Formats: sequence, C-alpha cells, structure tokens
Amino acid sequence: MSHFTQPLEYVGRPAQRVDALDKVMGRAKYIADYRVPGMLHARCLRSTLPHARIARLDTTPALRVPGVRAVITSDDFVDHGLYGFPVKDKYMLAYQKVRYVGEAIATVAADTPQAALAGAQAILCELEPLPALFDATRALDPDAPQVGPDRKNGNREHPNLKSDHMLVCKGNAEAELADCPIVLDRRYFTDWQEHAYIEPEGVLAIPTPEGGVVVYAPNQSPFINQNNLAMVLGLPINLVRVIQPTVGGSFGGKDDIIYESSAQAAKLALVTGRPVRMVFSREESLVASYKRDAMHMHIRLGADRDGTLRACWFRGILDSGAYASETPFTAWRASIHAMGAYRYNACDVDVYCVYTNNGYAGAFRGFGNPEVCFAVEQTVDELADMLGMDPIDLRLKNCLRLGDETAHGQKLDESMGLVECINTVRRLSDWDRKRAEYSRQTSTEKRRGIGVAIMYHGMSLGAEGADYAGATISVLPDYSVDLTSGLTDYGTGSRTVFTLIAAEELGVRPDRIRIQRPDTNTAIESGPTVASRTTVLGGNAMRAAARNLRQTLDLAAADLLRCDPQQLIRVGESYVGPDEEAVAWEKIVDHAREMGLILSAHGKWEAPKIVWDHHHGRGTPYMAYVYGAQVAEVEVDLRTGNTQVLHLWAVHDIGKVIFPQGAYGQLYGGITQGLGYALTEQITYRDGYIQETNFESYLIPTSVDVPEITAQFVESSYSYGPYGAKNIAEPSLVPTAPAIANAIAHATGRRVRELPMNLERVLLGHDLQPPASRDAAIRGVWMETRSMPQTPAPAAPRIYA
Amino acid sequence: MWIEMTLNGKPVAVEAPPDISLLDLLRDYLNLTGTKEGCAVGECGACAVIMDGRLVNSCMVLAPQAHGSEVITIEGVHGPDGGPNDLQQNFIEYGAVQCGICIPGMIMAGEALLMHNPNPSRQEIRMGLAGNLCRCTGYQQIVDAIEATAKGRQKG
Ligand code: FES
Ligand code: FES
Repeated sequence: MSHFTQPLEYVGRPAQRVDALDKVMGRAKYIADYRVPGMLHARCLRSTLPHARIARLDTTPALRVPGVRAVITSDDFVDHGLYGFPVKDKYMLAYQKVRYVGEAIATVAADTPQAALAGAQAILCELEPLPALFDATRALDPDAPQVGPDRKNGNREHPNLKSDHMLVCKGNAEAELADCPIVLDRRYFTDWQEHAYIEPEGVLAIPTPEGGVVVYAPNQSPFINQNNLAMVLGLPINLVRVIQPTVGGSFGGKDDIIYESSAQAAKLALVTGRPVRMVFSREESLVASYKRDAMHMHIRLGADRDGTLRACWFRGILDSGAYASETPFTAWRASIHAMGAYRYNACDVDVYCVYTNNGYAGAFRGFGNPEVCFAVEQTVDELADMLGMDPIDLRLKNCLRLGDETAHGQKLDESMGLVECINTVRRLSDWDRKRAEYSRQTSTEKRRGIGVAIMYHGMSLGAEGADYAGATISVLPDYSVDLTSGLTDYGTGSRTVFTLIAAEELGVRPDRIRIQRPDTNTAIESGPTVASRTTVLGGNAMRAAARNLRQTLDLAAADLLRCDPQQLIRVGESYVGPDEEAVAWEKIVDHAREMGLILSAHGKWEAPKIVWDHHHGRGTPYMAYVYGAQVAEVEVDLRTGNTQVLHLWAVHDIGKVIFPQGAYGQLYGGITQGLGYALTEQITYRDGYIQETNFESYLIPTSVDVPEITAQFVESSYSYGPYGAKNIAEPSLVPTAPAIANAIAHATGRRVRELPMNLERVLLGHDLQPPASRDAAIRGVWMETRSMPQTPAPAAPRIYA
Repeated sequence: MWIEMTLNGKPVAVEAPPDISLLDLLRDYLNLTGTKEGCAVGECGACAVIMDGRLVNSCMVLAPQAHGSEVITIEGVHGPDGGPNDLQQNFIEYGAVQCGICIPGMIMAGEALLMHNPNPSRQEIRMGLAGNLCRCTGYQQIVDAIEATAKGRQKG
C-alpha cells in the first residue's frame, strides 16, 4: 500500500503542543522544582579576575563551615576535568589559571544553599593577576599577552589564535574589485548577546547504588554530557545516565555551562553519596555562562553601475573569549554565509576566532549568521542607496535562484524559495508605497523608515561533523505508542513534530502517542541537538522507525484479514481488508502479539554526504539551505534616538511545515530575539568585567517593545526532508537586525554599523560613553553633535573611475 | 514566625523565617513550585501571583507582608473540573507556550488583566504583560490567547 499519494492527516495540520497542558497548569517540573530526600545544594567559587594564576587554593576552611559536606576542585577530576569539542581547552573547574571573570574554581556541597555559599566564601583562594587581553583586534599582535592555552603541536600559530582561518574562495576577488566601477568598503561590529533563557542554569545529580550517577540536566545534547561525565569522572559509560527534564529555554546556551555544572554536581554526589542540586541565580547565569561572540567585520563589495554585484571580500574576527566552546564552528558557519545569498564572480572570505579574557562565547541561535548578515545586508543596502535603486530590486537582481551556483561552488538544484519570499514580503508590507512615502519626510521630530534584509542558512551541521539521528517506537500493553528520540526539545516543539510524524506514518491518533523524556538509557545517540537539525534529522529517523513498526502491523493485519498487505486500506485508525469490514487497531496489535511479532522498532537516518575543502574554501558546505526575507518598519525619534519598531513582516522558505503553530512560534520568537539584538541587548565587558548582571540592565524585548508580526511560509519541498520539510529555529532571527538597521537608515539617513543600535548610536553615530580603551578625544562629542543634521551626507564610497 | 493567609481559596498557616520572600515561601515552604524564579529582582514576572486582587512579583514581596492576605498562584487557576480553564485552554490552542517557564506568570498576568479590564485591546493586553518577560514566543500568540479569552468571556 502506498503511503505517498494519500493526503497527510496529521502533518501540516493544526495540532497542539504535547507538553502544553502541563505547562499552563504549572505542573511541568524544571530543575529548580526537583526536590529529592537528602538533597544537598551546591555553589561555585568563581574567579574575580579576568586572567590570573591560581597561586593558592585551600578548601579546608570551607569544610569547617557548618553544613558543608564536601568541596571539589579540578584535582578531583581525571586529567583535571579537561574537556571541550572541537578544541579541548576548558576544565570542569579551573586548573592552574583562570581566564575570565566568573570562571568556576571550586564547588561546595552543603545542607542548605546558605551553607554552600558560606562554604564557597570560606575557601582560601589567591589569584595572581596575569596580563589580560580584551581587544580581539590586537589578539594576534606579536606583543599581545598569551591568553590562549599552550599548544602541544609545536605552536605553528599565535597562541591566541583559536580556530583555523575559515575560507571561502571563488576566483580572484582582489582583481575583480579593482575592476569594479563601484566598491563599498565598510566595517561592522556586532556585540555579545546573552541567551537570556528565563530559566537559569541548574542540574541535579543522584548517586546510584552501583557507584554511578544519574544526572538531570537541562542540556541540549545529553549524550555529549554523558560522554564528558564518564571521561572526567573515570566511570564506564553505562554507569552514567543523563536525563533531560523540562528545559526553560536554551537557544544554544545550555551546553558547555551545563556540562560543567553536571560534572561538578555529579562528582559531589559521588563523594557525598547524596543527591546534589545546583541552581544558578540570574546574576551567576549572566556572569558565568557563555554568550554569542562579538564580531569585528570588514567587508568590501564590488558592483557595476547597474547594480550587478561582482565581488565580495570579507574579513571577520570573532571575539570568542577565554575558551573555544563551539566557536570554531561558529566561525566556519559565519564564513560560509558572509557574502549573503547573492551571486558573485569572485569571493574571498576569511573568518577566524581569537582568545581574549572577555567571558567566553559558544553556540547561540543563528551561529555566526546573524553577525555576518548584519554586515552584508547593510552594505548591499548602501549600494542601493548610492545607485538610487530600490533595495528590493537590487536584491532581486542579484539574489541566488534555482539552478545558480553559490560562492562556494554548490549548485542549488531544488527547494529554493528565496525570490518568492522576497516578492511576498514586498507585497505584504506594502513596501513600494511606504518606501516612497517615507523618503519624502521632512519632520525634525519623528521619522519613519522601512527596511529589508534577506538571508539563507545552511541546514544542519554541514561540514561541522557526522550528521545522523536515531529514534525508537514501540506499542505498550495499553495500546499507547511510545517514542524516543536522541534529539531533544528545549522548548522548540520537536516532541510535537515527532509525535505528528509517528501518527502520520502509523495511522494512529496523536493522543495515543507519548514521547519519552530524552534519556541516555533509552534513546539512541543522535549527535548534538543544534543547528536547527532536529526536524530533518530526528524527523526522518522517527519516520523510519514508524515505518518499520507499520510494516510489522501491516503484516499482522494482512494475516488477520487474509489478504496481501497491498490490499489493506485504512479508515481512521482501523484496518480494512477485501471484505470491507473495519478492524480496530487494537485488534491488529493483539493479533501481531499472538503471531509473536515484536512491536517495537528503531529508525536511523543519515544526511547526504557533503564535501568541503577547508584549505581551498570550496565545496558543498551544507546539504541544502533555508531562505527568508524580512521587512521592518520603524519610527525614530530624531531628538532622542529612540527607535520603535512599528511592524515586522517575515516570509521564510522552510520547506513543508509539519507543525504550523510551532513553526510560527519559532518565527515570532526568533524575530523577537533579533529585535533585542538590534536595539537593546548589550553586554559590556569593561576590562573583562561584565556590566549587565540582571534584567534591569540586560534589556530583552518586552511585550510592548515587540510589534505585531506578520509571518508567512513558503513551502518549497526538499527531497531529503521528512515530507519535504526543512527547518526554522535559527533562521528566524538572522535577518531581523539588518532589516531594522536598514529601516533606521531609511528614516534618518544615518547608518549604524554597530550593534546594538541604542539611542546614542542612532542619534550620534557612536557611543555616548566610550569604553575606557577608546580614544578620549571623542568624549566631548556629545555637546558638539547634539543636533542631528537634517540630511546627513552618506559616507563617501570608494569609486574607481 | 507564623504566616497565615488564604492560599488558592484555602486557609494556610506556615512557619518561616521573616526575611524570605513570598516566592521562597511558596516554593520552599509550601512546595508550590508552579511559581517560577527568573531573576529575583522584580524584572521578569516569572514569579507573578495575584495578592488581594493585584498582580505582584512574589520575589519582591516579603513573606510576612502576605500575612492575612489572599493569594492565588498558578496552582489555584483551573477549570471547574480541575483541568485547564478557558485562558489556559486558549494558551494551548493558540500556541502561546514554548519552553513554558514564563507561562505560569503569564497566566497570572492574563487573569489579573482580565479581572480589571474584561475587554482589552491588543495594545492594552501588551501593556498588561509588560512586566512579564518571555524569551521564546515573541508574545504574539500569548496576546492572541488572552484576546480570545476576553472575547469568550464577554459572550459569557
Ligand atoms: S523572579 Fe520575580 S520578577 Fe523575576
Ligand atoms: S515560553 Fe519560554 S520564556 Fe516564555
């Protein structure tokens, strides 16, 4: 019987989140809600210096504090707890040196949180300051202090160089630029961004009678955590079990920091023989956790006078702080997307990351693409301004289309909906009328502007690593269907996506299906839950598992109904054979059991192989891409620099939409994070000390900052995606900040080339209070430039005759 | 000290130190963990409860201040059968829930808003939620859910 031609019954239809009921009733349990008998509370001692040698560390005074049960340091782990991927450069607790303010040095377990804090404060820790580095652009200077780790491989490179140079090379970009009549040469900067999940970090570790440990950890990738734990605790992997409880948001943020907390709590649980829970305060979360990298970018775009793009030259340096975490991968993804979704004759991209003592950076939704999109999409807009072209027309003239080859050399031969995204967002936003109308404003108080940005985003890991996932499915005695996936749901809705896919393939109602919590004991290892890969990788695996089970049930049905499986049809859940009598699904299950058939199955799916030549910057970096276009309409108060976003339109090509309500939710939420990234979210490391330590200074968008959002999907089917699906989680926020920046430029005539575009940057074009390291000469500028020019002259581009 | 209050319609008395917050009293002394802590400084609204008819951030209320008051937490919000009420059902139906950590506070803010303004505009709903941070949803589907609930309650 063919499953392909039938209309889809559950996939793409209205559905509700499988975990919504528990959440609206207040019943869902997050780590801070877990209480188990005998549970101890853990607390870290953290570094107060950005770079220092640990001269003395004496934990015995802490043990004398009433209520304190144990204290651990890096000495308590195998190899001092060294871990990290792709670079092994971080310790579960600092060893010999600290490299950022907030780095964990020792962890105390005590009867109460208060005793744990008192214990941490009692630890004798002497830190001997070392020269520190805060300016990423100076990190590779010969006289820069070494803040990166010693290299064992003969030190070919500067020790502060964290990653390889990530290259994309097509033709000779220098020569092409020299030949272009118009060249724009621009520098952009994007700042650190905090994930700001509303649930701060936490873990609970419970020792087992066999000498192992069960860790409840709101991490994204439990199997990586399990591997790390086995390694640093010196335990066989089967004695380490990681379970993911309900996660209160992550956005890329709950990996390394949770692995560390897991290792600390697990070690303390093993030492004390008691459960240990550690929950961060918001302040601790902001100080200790990793963030989105800050990125210094230099872009040169070459074009003909008719607006045809010809060359892109791009240099990017990621300030990714004291440890690597996943930032070498971030740099790679940034390099692949640095030139934007356009055609070029020549392209030359080089992106790398460096060590500094500004906190540390890791994965964050978008993973390098929001940074580079901010630069390239504004530069393209400036080109349109210069040429007097409509920004959307210029983009349509140059953007990638079906059949094109990307700058990397990848042929785009299917699932390419970018032009449709652009045309749709143009129509929905009433672009042409507003663009014309707002160009004629004369008000000196408030002006409106409308701006656009487009994007593409490579699906899943691409050349970052092996790309596979597994899933299991089984029928339980009560005829419910039980699912597991090795990929996790930290608020994204993937549990619902998997449920709908299993329902579709099995032909049973979704309310019969239950999906287990991710648990390393029951699920199949599936690589990390990152890179918006869950729907495609996990979805395909679940589809395969459900099909395997379906085949078994079809056999049983054919046996019971005395026909070939091909003759069966389904009416609702029931099976109908040639005699046209409907037989309940439960009966088929019973019969399968009587036949001795096993009603459980697993499925595995591997992404198509991709090829990337790191040395020459050529190849097929991703299996396929998602596309999108967003338009922002803003009103800027010319007297204060305040920007209000009035409306946002977003049209994204994500392939077949499996769970519409969830997909829209991802889009709205991502756009909102992009809006915060654009306007208000600022992390300031002043000499390594973070200045924003709670939500009164780290400003994420509230319900009144976010306008109504009009969203639509273009569903250009992808042949390898489940039912043609692609993905949405990350791409949603990528074009938001540049769309807003372009709208601000339209309103004010002023380009803001730094994020966030706060009041003073919009009003003055620079910071009101420059960081101490900057030239003091610009300090007096507030008085001089108070009144904004009516029609600021655009910065002079470099024009070759 | 002993703190007495009416909690979700029932009288309770609990002994607790005088210097803790209502949030800690609820979570640690009364084991009502539906009320969440997101910041502990009054900025996020994850800890919102209704106290004497007003929406308050329970992390900013000292436990003794709740003495003699009437407090409603998320555990006290439900339909007649103990299942979701209309607002909670609409949160489910309109996709207003993602990670869920802000949702108890959002439900409390929604109930408080509808108590004082049974027929709010979308902008008024946004104003009513301005003290509740959500990092996942972008608020749009939360506004949808509250708007639908207001309309439903108007019809009776
Ligand atoms: S925890 Fe009370 S407002 Fe954030
Ligand atoms: S649903 Fe995650 S913070 Fe609101």
